[in-house]
Amino acid sequence: MIGDPVVELTRVYHASAAHRLAHPALSDAANASVYGACARPHGHNYYIEVTVAGRPDPVTGMAVDLAALDAAVDRAVISRVDHQTLEAVPELAGVITTGESLARAFWRLLAPELPEAALTRVTVVETAKNRFEYEGGAR
Amino acid sequence: MSGERARSTRRFAFAAGHRYWVDGWPAAENERVFGRLTVPHGHNYTLDVTIEGPIDPRTGMVIDLAELKRVVTEAVVARFDHADLNADAAFQGRVPTTENIAVTVWELLAPKLGTDRLVQVRVWEDPTLYVEYRGGAR
Repeated sequence: MIGDPVVELTRVYHASAAHRLAHPALSDAANASVYGACARPHGHNYYIEVTVAGRPDPVTGMAVDLAALDAAVDRAVISRVDHQTLEAVPELAGVITTGESLARAFWRLLAPELPEAALTRVTVVETAKNRFEYEGGAR
Repeated sequence: MSGERARSTRRFAFAAGHRYWVDGWPAAENERVFGRLTVPHGHNYTLDVTIEGPIDPRTGMVIDLAELKRVVTEAVVARFDHADLNADAAFQGRVPTTENIAVTVWELLAPKLGTDRLVQVRVWEDPTLYVEYRGGAR
């Protein structure tokens, strides 16, 4: 093996929040037609998984400063959404709060807080049945 | 049909003790950098080992999971379950962080399973933290 190993570390966070899926330009009836039960105000116990890549430091064995990661995720995401209504969170203005759009929004809030290129994936687990992953863009 | 590739993942568990400690550092420096992690403690680790390969046209299997279970149990679980990781030869000069455990598990399994088959190891320290290693470096 040439060079140092690169690992991916994933930390699982939790936030409970209310939301509804509705496009502001649509009527209530149209939103109900598009989004079904999700158009009604409801909530979830969200799990937010943040994955970062790095090389374990040859001395400390740590690829990531976990305390710094926890602080960044709390500051950028968890403290803003936990026990909130997502549609009322200023940083999510204009976001239709589907799992995939939340994953992208959380990526955008979090990326500037982390060392450059460290963030590799944001996963939003909305329920035990629904999991959404965003890796930073198009391909 | 032959040659269609798929991945199989089998899950293992081991309970092990460890602490974060660099022998070459004074105690105060260890405590400054690692805090409470310097105190010996332990975890119920979960290990997911992923194998990739063609689906054998006769058996329908990517790998005989009994073989995978035997290899991982012998090479990793028997060695680390109810063990003090800091006392293991693999962690002399290598702090048993989750990152280094993942790399070490890979190094133990790769020669036995082959890097053409072994594609990922994932080590969960607890339900809120896991590290994945796929053999890559830079």
